[in-house]
Amino acid sequence: MTKPTPILSLRGIGKSYGAVVAVSEVDLDIFPGEVVAICGDNGAGKSSLIKVISGAEEPTAGSLAMRGKPVSFASPHDALEHGVATIYQDLALAPRLSIAQNVFMGSELTRPVLLPFLRVIDKKRMIAESQRFLSQLSVSVTDMTRPVERLSGGQRQAVAISRALRWNAEIIIMDEPTAALGVKETALVLDLIRKLKADRRTVILISHNMRDVVALADRVVIMGAGRKYVDRPIHGLSADDLTHLIMSGNARAA
Amino acid sequence: MRRINPRELIGRYGTAFAGLLLIAFFLIFAKNFASPTNIVNVLKDTSFLAILALGFTLAFTVAELDLSVAEIASLAAVVCGWLVQLQYPPAVAVAAALAVGIVLGTLNGYGVTVLRIPSLIMTLGTAAIAKGFAFMITQGVAFVGRWPVGFTGLARGYTFGIPNLVLWMSAATLFAYGLVKWTRTGAHMVATGEADEAARLAGIATARMKRIGLLLAGVFASIMAVLLAANLSSAAPNMAGDYLLYAIAAVLLGMTMFDPGKPNVPGTVFAALVLKVLGNGLVLLGAPYYVQDIVLGAIIIGSVAFSASAMKKAAFKV
Repeated sequence: MTKPTPILSLRGIGKSYGAVVAVSEVDLDIFPGEVVAICGDNGAGKSSLIKVISGAEEPTAGSLAMRGKPVSFASPHDALEHGVATIYQDLALAPRLSIAQNVFMGSELTRPVLLPFLRVIDKKRMIAESQRFLSQLSVSVTDMTRPVERLSGGQRQAVAISRALRWNAEIIIMDEPTAALGVKETALVLDLIRKLKADRRTVILISHNMRDVVALADRVVIMGAGRKYVDRPIHGLSADDLTHLIMSGNARAA
Repeated sequence: MRRINPRELIGRYGTAFAGLLLIAFFLIFAKNFASPTNIVNVLKDTSFLAILALGFTLAFTVAELDLSVAEIASLAAVVCGWLVQLQYPPAVAVAAALAVGIVLGTLNGYGVTVLRIPSLIMTLGTAAIAKGFAFMITQGVAFVGRWPVGFTGLARGYTFGIPNLVLWMSAATLFAYGLVKWTRTGAHMVATGEADEAARLAGIATARMKRIGLLLAGVFASIMAVLLAANLSSAAPNMAGDYLLYAIAAVLLGMTMFDPGKPNVPGTVFAALVLKVLGNGLVLLGAPYYVQDIVLGAIIIGSVAFSASAMKKAAFKV
């Protein structure tokens, strides 16, 4: 059996901030429909690596390719246009704006009035579509004009994911999606990620929670001191094994 | 469906209702307030303030303070008056005034987004520069004269029986409202003002939105300046200076109504009317002139206290 073409591949990615090397020489292939967990202790280089993939920062070395074709992301918008959406832990949403406004932030729907080139915001359709995305994720919120600040943590993640769906993102990067959540809300978010997977979307998950990783991921990548040193299927690993692997990476870095 | 609870109703319309009560109070108790001439005068007076405050509102929508609007208006008025005095056609004078707003508004925008100077500081600097130029051009005195009706008519004339000033105010209101509520640019401005980083990560050109907000504040200031000069047939280097506090008060009071905690167009315009009614009514009731300033200060502080938690986040993020 031939291996499928990776949807995203990183070759020799490095990122340094002045003299500080955050990421160096990372090669990584991500295949369509996979859930890949990126783990590592604080300062291991996870966030910097994610910033490169999401277009928030440009790498100082190496190259990216999607489906074998070289790409470079100059901005988060660039990445979105290529179908890579990132859901940042707490920066993703505007709390006082409505669900619909958040889902369509930056990509509002418009409709023509009077003249074909005169287009105005189509609030009704944005509300209807937001509703559709949320029910697709089995989240039962009815009022799309409700400000996001009045939603629970899990529901907020669903709104952020809906925005990624709105861009029809094939790769969804989630940065600590359950970090600030309670037990029930965490379960909701894990379900959301399973739905994305069932929908054949590729998920890159950054998490400190090893139980989440074991429950969701197909593959785990462990980083330490800016380098990737574990890249293997999750199969057969327990949460304790993962913790152990991360600790050994720390030891190596020290 | 959306349920409306009484608390939300009070939050949304409480101060607007209080404003209506105030207007009703003066209509009944202030002698001569209800006379048609006085009402037209109040509306005309409101126009200047509303147009200036709308510009401030648009800058505030992208979470930037523009403290230079009044001085930009003074400079624009002086440039405009100067050219009218030199007998240039009114269109040239108006274009020059608009150019002042465009140049200084753009300067503010680049200072804030490229040089990353907080808008509070940047616009204070611009205000001082504008003030200096205004005094330089006039050498400290005012331009006064018998100016052509083609120019003064912009403010003093009537169209279909409605004062032109009121029409300009309506046009400015419609433009600002339409921009914010109906266009993608407006939606991007709102998102930028609400959550800069989230907006940027969602692909919005936030720096450009900030520049647009500050540019429009400058343009609205120069439109107000042209009307002010046309109405008075004169232009003085300090003519709009007093409007800054009033504009801030209108925006902050406006933020307590309709869409509480957020700068909003209907709120600003209605608040401008309430402030002018209050000023006019107090005078007619025989209150000394300095009472207005005291009331103005109280309104500024009171407005911010009113919708404290929601607004403090937006209003004092400079």
